[in-house]
Amino acid sequence: MANINPDFAIELKKYGSVNFNACYNCGTCTAVCSLSTEEDSFPREMVRYSVLGLEDEIQASLKPWLCYYCGECSESCPRTANPGELMMALRRYLTAKYDWTGLSGLLYKSLPMSIIAFIVTAIAVIYYSFYESFNVEKIMHFGHLFEMISIAAVFSIILVPNIIRMWWMTVLKQKAKVPFTAYFKSIWDLIVHMFTQKRARDCDDNEFRWLEHLVLVIGYLSLLFTTVVLDWFGTDNLFIIILGYIESAIVFIVTVDFVSSRIKQKKEIAKFSQPSDWFFVIWLFLLGFTAFVVRVFIDLNLIETNLWMYLIHLTVLVQWALLIVPFGKWTHFLYRSFAMYFDKLLKEPVKA
Amino acid sequence: MKNKIGVYICQCGSNISDYVDVEKVKEAVMAEDVVLLSKTTMFACADSTQKEMASDIKEQNLDGLVVASCSPKLHLYTFRNVAIRAGLNPYNYVQVNIREQCSWAHSDKPKDATEKAIKLVLAGIHRAKHSVALKKQKISSENTVIVVGAGIAGMRSSIELANMGSQVYLIEREHFVGGRTSQWNELFTTGETGRDVISELYKQIKSNSNITLFTGAEVVSKSGSVGNFEIQVKITPRYIKPDCELDMEKFEKVLEVCPIEVEDDFNFGLNKRKAIYKNYPSEFPEIPAIDDKTCTRCGECVKLCPEIDFEQKVETLNLIAGAILLTTGFDPYEPKEGEFGYKTVDSVITLQQMKRLIELNNKELIYNGKKISKIGYIYCVGSRQSDGENKYCSRYCCTSAIHTGIITKEKYKNIQNFHFNRGIRTYGKQELLYHEASESGDVFLQFFDDTTPSITMNGKGPKVIIEDFLTKGKEIEVDLDLLVLVTGMVPRKERRISDILKVPIGRDKFYNEIHPKLRPVETVIDGVHIAGACQSPKNITESVKSALAAAAKANSLISKGEIELEPTLAIIDKSKCKSSGDCIKICPYDAIRTVEHDGKTVSEVNNSSCKGCGMCIPVCPENAIQLIGYTDIEIESMIEALI
Repeated sequence: MANINPDFAIELKKYGSVNFNACYNCGTCTAVCSLSTEEDSFPREMVRYSVLGLEDEIQASLKPWLCYYCGECSESCPRTANPGELMMALRRYLTAKYDWTGLSGLLYKSLPMSIIAFIVTAIAVIYYSFYESFNVEKIMHFGHLFEMISIAAVFSIILVPNIIRMWWMTVLKQKAKVPFTAYFKSIWDLIVHMFTQKRARDCDDNEFRWLEHLVLVIGYLSLLFTTVVLDWFGTDNLFIIILGYIESAIVFIVTVDFVSSRIKQKKEIAKFSQPSDWFFVIWLFLLGFTAFVVRVFIDLNLIETNLWMYLIHLTVLVQWALLIVPFGKWTHFLYRSFAMYFDKLLKEPVKA
Repeated sequence: MKNKIGVYICQCGSNISDYVDVEKVKEAVMAEDVVLLSKTTMFACADSTQKEMASDIKEQNLDGLVVASCSPKLHLYTFRNVAIRAGLNPYNYVQVNIREQCSWAHSDKPKDATEKAIKLVLAGIHRAKHSVALKKQKISSENTVIVVGAGIAGMRSSIELANMGSQVYLIEREHFVGGRTSQWNELFTTGETGRDVISELYKQIKSNSNITLFTGAEVVSKSGSVGNFEIQVKITPRYIKPDCELDMEKFEKVLEVCPIEVEDDFNFGLNKRKAIYKNYPSEFPEIPAIDDKTCTRCGECVKLCPEIDFEQKVETLNLIAGAILLTTGFDPYEPKEGEFGYKTVDSVITLQQMKRLIELNNKELIYNGKKISKIGYIYCVGSRQSDGENKYCSRYCCTSAIHTGIITKEKYKNIQNFHFNRGIRTYGKQELLYHEASESGDVFLQFFDDTTPSITMNGKGPKVIIEDFLTKGKEIEVDLDLLVLVTGMVPRKERRISDILKVPIGRDKFYNEIHPKLRPVETVIDGVHIAGACQSPKNITESVKSALAAAAKANSLISKGEIELEPTLAIIDKSKCKSSGDCIKICPYDAIRTVEHDGKTVSEVNNSSCKGCGMCIPVCPENAIQLIGYTDIEIESMIEALI
């Protein structure tokens, strides 16, 4: 027995859902979806749960993560109920629910709060520079240190506890019997999905978008590795310097395409953009671009006299690491992979 | 006796000739001495064949015509017209059905089919042999129509009839016009109010000298028949002088002093009204009325208002009209006690009550002193019952409920609607309302015959538990403030008028037309037409459409001043009749009465009422009745030919 809660629609609207109440349950969305199967049937079911406001069912479901948003469902919906965008909104909603700090929900639902957060972090960076009297060496050293500390802190304080919460909501709470060995057997799937997102290739006409995405992920992760571990800004090794240039160029060139498709709104998936979507693509672009320019300044010996360039990069970096990675769209990359992993666990046959 | 008969045997392409040897039939027929000519033809109904038949009749001077082809339902009039064009009386034509009743039925036995066809055609020839030339009879008709019921269908058709030149007597049982339409506020898809529509029609009626409106009037008896109906109407007075000018202030004082309180039918029992009443200020006619049944004549009101006149008497009028149009409307279905919690759970009302409730509550929606925000609608209450009596769909209720939900949201704050439906049928343009409601956040949950929702009380209001098949049958609980039963249409409880006019009633208990597609506004009682929701559930648009169709049909029947009737009627041989009365009892059309003839009482057929059904013929102990066109000698000779 479940209690109906139509007010949930108001809540979901804050997460970016568009007109899903118009749904009359024809099931066209589910029929055209190339990822939906008899076992994992969506998006219609999720639309129905949302209309009735069955939050328990939604929080227990991994289905929003099984969708890679090709947009075909929204294109074929006879009621323009935008099932694809609803799935996106549900991912945002679930991100907020997994997050123990509650900051995800706050930033998703309120643009002013997001802007304030971005301003506060920027002020902090500038204040710190004052404190260090604009000493280039000190500040750049701190920047490198910050990268390492923030990765470790965000992972251990925010992301790992949130994934544990997700595991509790979708697996443990459902009282599903999962054989212990399955956790190990399925770990390879987790890694493969995390780095390749290969399931997205099954979406119709999605090869290019998938490839773009793959290149971006590899570029981003290797840039992270190059700056944090190989100390790109501090090294004299020509190979590492060129590698960093290529990686940062990949990041900002690919993101330019993502930003422009959101501006053009030609594709179904780019029709609706929430502030969180804009922040994600724009900050990723800025991250790659400012890193590239900073290194150019270093190579031309301009950075000593143009510290402002590094400060811009540092501000972007801090905002990215403290706001977007733990509480924004970046987490989808993790949750999606873990959703695939948990889904695999739940389907593992239990030995009698 | 006819002895120059022409016989045509149709092959109907190959529909007949594949199984019936038409050449053999032709030869067998030729052997009859009354047959002058016998031919087979590919298609008897083809233009060329019709022309050939006509020239044969003229050239060979035929005195009878037999066509053996398909059912007379298809081509009786085709070949009768051939006869007329060739100067032969159409009643000397006989059609024999050797397709539906022979070739198609016996396609497995062609030999026997041929034999049967020969016998059928011979029987036809024998009937033609004894056929008599007949003329359609003509009766005079009054160009006057009595319209019963001044709801939207009756009012609209009256105006149309009057504009076409017919006199109209518009008879309304209530003291005010408008019927159900005046009870609804905003109407769906157009947005104007029911009472605005009614006011407009009333103005037109009052300014039209061809229309006479009677309120408080009821038909009590009928005599006569099409062309000349005599209708007796009983008129209950309003007990207020007709020259009374309504002064609202004074009227309100009168309302205060009246001690009688009765349930207000206009508001479906949501409140009480006094014995002197007017349902809403702009209601027509303008003068209030005193309810004859409940007023005790205490005289309190007379003290305040000298225009009240208890001296007025019930009157009876005799009206004469050529045709009658029934537009008596519907009653909303009254749920049984306990049906979806009706009268057993608090805050369960009908859709019609809900509509009145919205009109009675201006700022906030209050029911039983409680503010309402969560409203549920259960659809198809009293309609589409698989076990109950009403199998039909009431057509208007899906749209009406959704529209009511929309206007509730527009009028009040914080309204949430839940629609427990059995599939939404908002056909045509009304679909947009469904879309609108759905987009605005109304929740739709579907149930089926075998999974009806259960309704219980949860302390604050009704609670509905429903299996939502769209979430794999999950049980969903919905707590409500008010539950509205979307009740459909049933025929009026009061059926006196149909008893008086003998209007046929269908299985659904609504009045029955002759043919739903081809003759949708006529009944088998000549001159009696039906329109609006008394015939079947209809929305206002559909009611008005049928009303206009009926107006045109009634006017075309009577406006020429005379009416042509089929000559196939029963005729009683008065010298044989011993007045047993059996024929009078069996006649379904009240067409036989007794008259004095040569010093004795005998039965006589009223030609304008007789439909030629033949029911009276076998019951006459004296064998004194013949059916023209089907006389004993014709039928007997057919039987002889068949055996």
